[in-house]
Amino acid sequence: MSQALPFVEAMGAATLPVSGIAWLDASRREHLDAFVAAGLPDTRMEAWKYTALRALAQRRFAAGDARAIEHAVDPAVFGLPGVYGPRLVFVNGVFRADLSMLDALPAGITLQPLSQALRQDAESLRFVLSRHEAEQGDAFVRLNAAMATDGVVLTLEAGAKPDAPVHLVFLGAPAEAELAWHLRTIIELGEGAELALVEHHAASGEQQHFATLVSDTYLRDGAVLRHVLLQQAAAGSSLIRRSRLQLGRRAQVSSHVLELGGALARHDVRAELAGDGARFVTRGVFMPRGRQQVDTQLAIRHQALGTASDSVWRGVADQRGRGVFRGAILVAPGADGSDASLSNKNLLLSPNAEIDTKPELEIHADEVKAAHGATVGQLDERSLFYLRSRGIPMAEARALLTVAFCRAVLDDLPVTALREHLAGLLALDLPT
Amino acid sequence: MSSESTDTATIALRDNAEVAEALGRNYSAGFVTEIEMTGLPPGLDEETIRQLSAIKREPEWMTEWRLAAYRHWLTMPQPDWAKLKIDPIDYQALSYYAAPKKKPKSLDEVDPALLETYEKLGVPLHERAALAGVAVDAVFDSVSVGTTFRKQLADAGVIFCSMSEAIREYPELVQQYLGSVVPTGDNFFAALNSAVFSDGSFVFIPKGVRCPMELSTYFRINAQNTGQFERTLIVAEESAHVSYLEGCTAPRRDENQLHAAVVELVALEKAQIKYSTVQNWYPGDENGVGGIYNFVTKRGDCRGAESKISWTQVETGSAITWKYPSVVLRGDRSVGEFHSVALTHHRQQADTGTKMIHIGKGTRSKIVSKGISAGRSSNSYRGLVKVEKGAEGARNYTQCDSLLIGKRCGAHTFPYMEVKNPSAIVEHEATTSKISDDQLFYCRSRGIGEEDAVSLIVDGFCKQVFRELPMEFAVEAKKLLEVSLEGAVG
Repeated sequence: MSQALPFVEAMGAATLPVSGIAWLDASRREHLDAFVAAGLPDTRMEAWKYTALRALAQRRFAAGDARAIEHAVDPAVFGLPGVYGPRLVFVNGVFRADLSMLDALPAGITLQPLSQALRQDAESLRFVLSRHEAEQGDAFVRLNAAMATDGVVLTLEAGAKPDAPVHLVFLGAPAEAELAWHLRTIIELGEGAELALVEHHAASGEQQHFATLVSDTYLRDGAVLRHVLLQQAAAGSSLIRRSRLQLGRRAQVSSHVLELGGALARHDVRAELAGDGARFVTRGVFMPRGRQQVDTQLAIRHQALGTASDSVWRGVADQRGRGVFRGAILVAPGADGSDASLSNKNLLLSPNAEIDTKPELEIHADEVKAAHGATVGQLDERSLFYLRSRGIPMAEARALLTVAFCRAVLDDLPVTALREHLAGLLALDLPT
Repeated sequence: MSSESTDTATIALRDNAEVAEALGRNYSAGFVTEIEMTGLPPGLDEETIRQLSAIKREPEWMTEWRLAAYRHWLTMPQPDWAKLKIDPIDYQALSYYAAPKKKPKSLDEVDPALLETYEKLGVPLHERAALAGVAVDAVFDSVSVGTTFRKQLADAGVIFCSMSEAIREYPELVQQYLGSVVPTGDNFFAALNSAVFSDGSFVFIPKGVRCPMELSTYFRINAQNTGQFERTLIVAEESAHVSYLEGCTAPRRDENQLHAAVVELVALEKAQIKYSTVQNWYPGDENGVGGIYNFVTKRGDCRGAESKISWTQVETGSAITWKYPSVVLRGDRSVGEFHSVALTHHRQQADTGTKMIHIGKGTRSKIVSKGISAGRSSNSYRGLVKVEKGAEGARNYTQCDSLLIGKRCGAHTFPYMEVKNPSAIVEHEATTSKISDDQLFYCRSRGIGEEDAVSLIVDGFCKQVFRELPMEFAVEAKKLLEVSLEGAVG
């Protein structure tokens, strides 16, 4: 790296958080040094080919918000119908006990902020938190490993099946400076445990903060996770996330994702189907407009016998928005009987919008069914004509068809109230 | 038939002896003309390129062109993005101009395994010797055949000659088009090729002419020993049509480790170029020892409106293939097509596919790729479909299917789609499967042996591409797959 970019320089100059836990502080130092040495990835790196960080690289963010605890937040900005269970709220990267709901947790569930968990029993988190994030291009994961002091630790005992969904809220609020914050999530579902989890990025007012979130999710044998990710970050903010999931035998994940907000929203999902019969289902929509850049990188590794993955993603790019999607499926040697399918369909609605999609298949076993498809196109002329011939104005007809195009990904979401709410959000976010 | 051929070979042997004797006499007399030079020593620097250019009696501008490419090449790293494991190549250890290779004197000296393959492919006897590189070219009919062709082509106004000849005879045409599709600094291997290319074909079809026959390198007399770095340029003027066949269907033992060719196609308004390749270079043995590194840049430029360029390839050879025949759809309503069958076996690696760059309005492209992997090979499709902002109404359809035979091979698909025009429609579909037990059982229950059943199924899998090949090529391509898949089952 030649001379330090303002972004890297500012991050490198920030005071490293001190925990007093020797291994953790050493790991933080190591990761910060590695981050500063490597700098930011550029578009010559395959993983960042379509997302240039030039503008971000020129910006400086302040570390931490001293007044995060004081910001007044209207609970309505994160309220969701059908999501009434335990809740953990962070504002500008800082845990807010006053907005959270942690009392009367159902049996078998442990849910607390990472800072608290570290004070109680740091050793049990050592394995996850001291992992060396050396992989190439992982600048933001390294940065997160160095700087994240808080986050979520969620554990479900074997067989625990709480009814109510757990709600994790990450809020951005206006502050005196443009902030950078980093959060870390560690989730473990014991054998046969079942959990519904809503991950919610929202904004309480306009701001242009920068945030990273790294999460690790472990599903033991037979565990089931129903995950909803609603990303409604502020229009000017940058949000970079990495989610790693490991699925044991017959474990199941279904994930429904709506990527609506942010100026730069990047999400790397890495799912490892490590146990026989594991099953991973994702459904997602991304809708870049304005000057938004929304980049989803899905990497699914089939590593065991009879594993299945099924991904259906829709993209709608309007105005100057840019949607980037990579869906990589890998079937490792010996993962016989794997069944993988992926589809990414996109609508391009404006001459200045762009869609870059890259479905990938990497197959190293032969008893396999694998298929992927991707399309970029427009609304069907005949359907438009049909609606208009029935007296529906053009704009409305287009909106109807666009919602229908996206809605397919919500169809199998089990919570009706939430499903309808999310569908409503899609319609709201539509260009008129 | 066979006694006849033995006679021919004997005559050839005698002729060769005479030639060798004559050459030896020349040398002892101290006459060293350019033709007899024994090539350049290994190594690459500006001096090597000047010498190479001098040997080929090239004009000054060509020498400078090569040097510019060389200087650019020096600044470039070898690409590493493909899904290939490539042992480091020592570019200084290669010889960049080889005199005619040492040839076996008769078929008796040729590897029996190779001859057996020819037998299976049903290659005519007199061609077998030529393919094996036996130095008996001069006595074959192909010379006279070649000359007849030349006459017929010249009457139609078609220029079809070696690149060296074109540089000397048609410098304006070459200067106008060479490097205009694949610039000298396009990529690492193209830059290297531009600096050191030894020879290749040049085809020019003038306005309104429909080339009276299928052109192929096989029929060009000087096709032999075009070397590691071929350069081919085909220009079809307004409304001209040409179909070009490259390669041969039988394996060629070639000692060269690196084969870095560049092919440029230019189609002006309403012109059509069809380029078919059957590539079966030496793939190395079962353990991945030896074999050709086939690093090829092929690109067509649909410069005029309503022009069409179509690539068809059957790739079964080479230890490593790195090849992406592309079409730049510049002219409005121009059409690009890519049909490919890539088969890898044993330890072969292929990373191949295409690029379709839609620039003009109403441009259309179609990609059909069939990958077959067996043994411990790795076979990747890598393709790019790019629709630029101005490509109103562009249309692409891509279909990539992979067939796996065996548990230790890999089949991969890496399609890139970049769309900047809202009226474009781009579609990609890919599947990966193995030969199903049901299909095999069905065939076997009807008394078809396992190997035959597999080739039957593979043939069906590839049919869509074979249809695009000229008839005699299609027949041979089918046999070629059978031969290449031997030992893949059971």
